Amino acid sequence: MKTFANANALDLRHAVTLAQQAHQDGRTASFAGGGSDLLALVKERMVTPDVLVNLKTIKGLNQVTSGKGGATIGGLITLDALGRHALVRRQWPLLAQAAESVATPQIRNVATLAGNVCQRPWCWYFRNGFPCLKNGGRTCFSVTGENRFHAIFGGGPSYIVHPSDVAPALVALDATFRIVGPAGERVLPAAEFFILPRQDAARENVLAHDEVLASVEVPAPRLGMRSTYHKVLDREAWTHAVVSAAVVLAIDNNVCHDARIVLGGVAPVPWRAHDAERVLVGQRMTPELAAKAGEVALAGARPLEKNAYKIPLTKSLVKRAVLALSALG
Amino acid sequence: MSQQRGGSSSAPIAPMKAIGHATPRIDAVERVTGQAIYTRDVQLPGMLYAQVLRSPHPHARIRTIDLSKARALPGVKAILTHENCQVVWGAGSISGGSQYNDQMKKITKHRRYAFNNPVRFVGDPVAAVAAVNRHIAEDAIQVITVDYEVLPFVLEPEDALKPGAPQIWSEGNVSPNNKNEIEPMTQRRGNIDEGFHQAAQVFEGRYTTAFCHNAQMEPRACVARWEGDTLTVYTPTGGISNCHHDIARDLGMPDEKVRVICQYMGGNFGNKNQNQDADLITAMLAKEAGAPVKLELSRKEDFIGMHGRWPTVQYYKVGVTRDGTVTAIQMRAYSGMGPYRKNSGGIAGIELYQCPNIESRIYPVYTNKTVSGNYRGPADPQGYYPIQSMMDDIAYKLGMDPIEFILKNMVRQPPNATFTNYTLDECIRRGAELFDWKKRWKPRPGSDPGPIKRGAGVAFMAFRSGVGMSSAVIQVDATRRYTLFVGVTDVGAGAKTTMDIIAADELGVAVSDVKVVWGDTDRCPYSVGESGSRTTIMTGRAVIEAARDLKRQIAAEGWPTGDAVLTASASPNPKTPGQVRNCFGANFVEVEVDVELGDVRVLKYLTVHESGRIINPLTATSQIKGGVGMGLGMALHEDMLYDRRTGRPLVTGYYFDRVPTHRDVPDIEVTFIETDDGYGPYGAKSIGESGMIQTPAAISNAIFNAIGRRMTDLPITRDKILGALA
Repeated sequence: MKTFANANALDLRHAVTLAQQAHQDGRTASFAGGGSDLLALVKERMVTPDVLVNLKTIKGLNQVTSGKGGATIGGLITLDALGRHALVRRQWPLLAQAAESVATPQIRNVATLAGNVCQRPWCWYFRNGFPCLKNGGRTCFSVTGENRFHAIFGGGPSYIVHPSDVAPALVALDATFRIVGPAGERVLPAAEFFILPRQDAARENVLAHDEVLASVEVPAPRLGMRSTYHKVLDREAWTHAVVSAAVVLAIDNNVCHDARIVLGGVAPVPWRAHDAERVLVGQRMTPELAAKAGEVALAGARPLEKNAYKIPLTKSLVKRAVLALSALG
Repeated sequence: MSQQRGGSSSAPIAPMKAIGHATPRIDAVERVTGQAIYTRDVQLPGMLYAQVLRSPHPHARIRTIDLSKARALPGVKAILTHENCQVVWGAGSISGGSQYNDQMKKITKHRRYAFNNPVRFVGDPVAAVAAVNRHIAEDAIQVITVDYEVLPFVLEPEDALKPGAPQIWSEGNVSPNNKNEIEPMTQRRGNIDEGFHQAAQVFEGRYTTAFCHNAQMEPRACVARWEGDTLTVYTPTGGISNCHHDIARDLGMPDEKVRVICQYMGGNFGNKNQNQDADLITAMLAKEAGAPVKLELSRKEDFIGMHGRWPTVQYYKVGVTRDGTVTAIQMRAYSGMGPYRKNSGGIAGIELYQCPNIESRIYPVYTNKTVSGNYRGPADPQGYYPIQSMMDDIAYKLGMDPIEFILKNMVRQPPNATFTNYTLDECIRRGAELFDWKKRWKPRPGSDPGPIKRGAGVAFMAFRSGVGMSSAVIQVDATRRYTLFVGVTDVGAGAKTTMDIIAADELGVAVSDVKVVWGDTDRCPYSVGESGSRTTIMTGRAVIEAARDLKRQIAAEGWPTGDAVLTASASPNPKTPGQVRNCFGANFVEVEVDVELGDVRVLKYLTVHESGRIINPLTATSQIKGGVGMGLGMALHEDMLYDRRTGRPLVTGYYFDRVPTHRDVPDIEVTFIETDDGYGPYGAKSIGESGMIQTPAAISNAIFNAIGRRMTDLPITRDKILGALA
């Protein structure tokens, strides 16, 4: 670990100012929320900040505030608190399910919503310090290497999969992200926050190095809306999704009126399955329709040498998630 | 847990006072309240901190090492490289791969130094630094510049034997035996051709098992201090006596000038019953710096720099008659040893069958992966899984119940000897009954309708429980307080408590009346070491002999008075002439496989285990449960993968290794059949390794019963299951 200075932020503007000051002095800065991911990267010298801007000292950024149009969720809320939050559990169950499926209780007690959305990939080439695209190098080692856990959609030149559980849920909920930076605030739809490697292979999202993901806005559920987060794990705790499906359906009288299907573990970003959503809308819910949604969701997948199993796996997962929601009364 | 006293083929055992009753560990409170002093907790005045620079290349020659920047850092006190430290780590590379000793020191050609040039795996130590604090030590290794000539490398044992493969040693890539002959480990019995001639059908199979790390909780560490020419080493070791002698030999010192202390340690699981290169590096840094030094390996270093179960590729050919009698077993196999032969590379399993005609050839092969070493049942689970999968498969093909096939073909008598007692058939029959095998097992594999399919599997074991030499000393003072000196450490199995229980019962006092002194070569006599599942048997026997001698002394001389103490010691070396001593067991598993998601869930796990008399049911049960948990990890999770393009490891810690968590391991039902064959302490046999060795075989056989596909490569991961069903 390289030695660093700690700077406590009083509010978001102060946090941005602290980072800017560091940059002006020719020093590097990193924002730390829960720090569970950052600290591991710092210990391995994969990130070597001179200044660590501590966001945990900002008050009020760990709350869920409900309003007419939905709720604002502060980026500093821990995954544990998010998963337990009564309103979240009632209105957006998939978000609570995603939060409580992460890692281990110890990690959920410190890790934050914003941190989970912004965490770096868990590709074993990246985490082991290979000189890959994510580490400033020029190749993605997974293409000809061990790619069992890599992307089947949206890959190239990097084939990482996005590691967040809450991100697919937020995209499926049509959430918006509030970002604070030197120029003030900007608000983006969740889906536009994440970027594919063909746009910029070194990053996973649009955040500039002096910007902070402050909060997310989740719209109020529509009539008949139900949601679920289905996740496949290779170990019951402390591992990321092999694949996952965040599904939001509006069902009335057993007919689907609206659908969002967002896949995790298959692409460098939360991967929205538009065609599968279209298969469902306006249709009567049946097991055959659910299976068809699964088939269509995986159309166009391009597996690498060792991850073709993700195709039948994800088809089955989508089918089951859709069926589970149609079964809810 | 249930216990049945008295096996069918042994006399019923008599109840005892402490032995056979659940006794909490005598150091449990110290451990859970943080009072226990582990190596990392040792703080000495003026102590320096060490860091090791490791090779980033799987095979490279070091041209130059530039230390100038590191030396210039304030606070750096010593730096070692292959240029100024030529200490040989004897136990790290041994011709033949068995226990290192003075004889093997003379013979071994492929020597492993503390710092090697060329480096032969990613993680091979290149340099070590001692500095006044951890940060400076870490900064120092960052600024050491090494000029490497990168050499070609090879990762897989079969590739290493192909013509034109990179040669890791000039004699080639097959590791020499203990006479330095380049020969496979070969075993023959009967006439293999005649065996196949007698067979009505011959079956063939290829199986592979993965490189698995011991993944013990405490990464290796060491604190070393010199006082004149005397060296004290604090290190987590599973054998202070061997570690002590190895360090003295490697450093060219008399044994009495070295002291090894291990009061507490966090797990062994094989391979700590010698010294470690970390011990030698720390000792040499302390000497160079003239101050005590502490070295603490990170989890990543412990994974890449150390050892794991050797990965294997195995080919089998088995002949059977029409009635299902096995007439011939032929096996050819390759064990990936890494670039040094730390241990044997053996593969067990064939001896489980009574078959008269066998032939096996096992090639221990050098590769450029991290060195393989002993891991809980060093040769066993990776051999049990293929042979018991082969036999399970044959049973189905002949239309037989696998249990019927096992009972027909399992070993009943060892070659040219007898067993001291034999309970294998009882373990299997009793387990089948407790498990309700007839109800859970599917005569037609994969026959459950729907995507969630259940199946049952069985595997069995017979594992060494040999007797041998170890020592113990017991004292009593005028206040009639007893002190037991035993050179054991507690690697997790509870040896200190076990020795206390044995001493208490033999002396006729309470467990709390005996103070146990352990883990210090200056205070304790020789003990065999916590490997090979033998401490209870061997050191336990010595405790009995010493206690009996002390009782005789008390009877003859009366109780000591004043400051006097009575001391008794014993170093028995019992034998079982003409007899083989084994423990026996059988595992029964029910799994549920989700064929759409590739999930395997173990629903029920039942073991019947005969380890002779059970000294402490609490820790004995834990040994079986812990063993099954590790076996489950080997069966379904763990695989130390390497990148084939760069030769660098990808699985460098608990996260990527996917070691099972408590939520992955089911409730494990343990039943002991207790016997006393007249050997060991009151008939106690081995238990530490034999809980895990049949687990991968049993789980794999249950998966076959559930889905009707034979899984031939460990670990049985989701991608393989979905691939087999595609």
